[in-house]
Amino acid sequence: MWRPGGIDRSTSLLIGLIVLSLTLLTVDLRASGAGVGATLREGVQGVLSPVQRAVSTATKPFATFVESLSDLFSVNADNNRLRERVLELEQEVAQLQSLENRVREFEALLGVAIPAGLETITAEVLAVGVSEFDHIRVISKGRNDGIGVGMPVVDEGGLVGRVVSVTATTAHVRLVVDPTETVAVRVERTGETGWLSGRGSGPMILELLNTDAAVLAGDILVTADGKYPSGIAVATVVRAARSEVGFSLRTEATPTAALSRIDLVYVLVYTQDSPGITVDDGSGRIPVVVPEDSGDRTSGESEEEPVTTTTTTP
Amino acid sequence: MRARHVLIAAAVLLVAVILQTSLFTRIRPFDVAPALTALVVVGFARHFPAETAMLLGFGAGLLQDLLAVSPLGLWALVMTTVAYATVRFRGRLEEDFGLMTPFVFAVTFGGLFLFAVLGTIFGEKTLADGGVVKKLLVPAIYNAVLSVAVLPLTAWTVGASRRPGTEFRL
Repeated sequence: MWRPGGIDRSTSLLIGLIVLSLTLLTVDLRASGAGVGATLREGVQGVLSPVQRAVSTATKPFATFVESLSDLFSVNADNNRLRERVLELEQEVAQLQSLENRVREFEALLGVAIPAGLETITAEVLAVGVSEFDHIRVISKGRNDGIGVGMPVVDEGGLVGRVVSVTATTAHVRLVVDPTETVAVRVERTGETGWLSGRGSGPMILELLNTDAAVLAGDILVTADGKYPSGIAVATVVRAARSEVGFSLRTEATPTAALSRIDLVYVLVYTQDSPGITVDDGSGRIPVVVPEDSGDRTSGESEEEPVTTTTTTP
Repeated sequence: MRARHVLIAAAVLLVAVILQTSLFTRIRPFDVAPALTALVVVGFARHFPAETAMLLGFGAGLLQDLLAVSPLGLWALVMTTVAYATVRFRGRLEEDFGLMTPFVFAVTFGGLFLFAVLGTIFGEKTLADGGVVKKLLVPAIYNAVLSVAVLPLTAWTVGASRRPGTEFRL
């Protein structure tokens, strides 16, 4: 017969540790990513990042082997699909070359500049978040390499996310699919603007305010003015949009970046030059530019919270 | 129990957290990785005295918090609860070892669900994740499968051996 032993003491300890955890949560949330929590995080991440780097490097051959095993099952189907795709793409290339000139003209009309000439920093993905709910990638470059909070991160497919915290040698990138992320976007084909919200591993949600706008499956969404430079591909529309109760046009889109298999990323050395407030948190980090209207509906990011001053007259 | 056992367990938990964040960067069948740290916490909570087991769980969770960007204390609370659940049920599990795999599935699922609920309460929008069901179920299944290898390994690292009916001591 099972007899519980030491239940009273262990339950007391459980309550004590829960209270301690909730206290830590409250203190950390009130500090908004600064304070003792941030110092501890930086210290631990600074110590463990070389170990993570070593483990990532050491296990890469094994990981590649496991990946190739899983790929083997789908290789035949992929081969046929890709052959058909090549034919389609060859036709599309011819059409795109003529369309490219028109696109440039439209972009000039819209006053949108493609982020050409921006300095980039190449970084390797060292680690992932600690759970499936952490849409985070740890990259191999940090403050010493010129990376600052808020900088956009891209791969060859498009926008990956943005830097949310930096240590001396590493940086945490929050993926664009994180449920707390919202990106101001423009439909490349029509120029209609809206916002794209992450939903974790599900497709992202695109909302356009113009309910008469035509959004079709395959439309490319690029960043609009906001916290990212304009013109970076973000997602592809999955199906044509439908109007919801007449207030907004809503549909789903999938990221253009290969988020599940990123090895190398490029951090854009970008600080927004549109009207904004430069914030120096006094920690020696690169100043963050807070846009006045960034299209970001995220809360809880200390570097992006507006400062309100209240004056009371006696 | 000796201090050496606690140190070994702490070291193994550290390795588990590092593997969780580095090895599973690319090894992600169905785009989901196991919750290795939770599994190792269960493994040690079977053998250590209740208080030590819960402090180990709290420590492992705190380490995860320090490597994450979620608020500090969220994982600590979850891992403490996982350790407590294991301590409460370990006697029954020892009597019928066949319950171990379903238990690991349930405690992993429960821990992740708790994290999802608390994460949502504390502004992480965790339950808004489009794949939340998959992210709760698949790691729990992985952990149940891996428990066959990982649980004996954790027992071996601290030299745990026990006859049925005896107290939980190393």
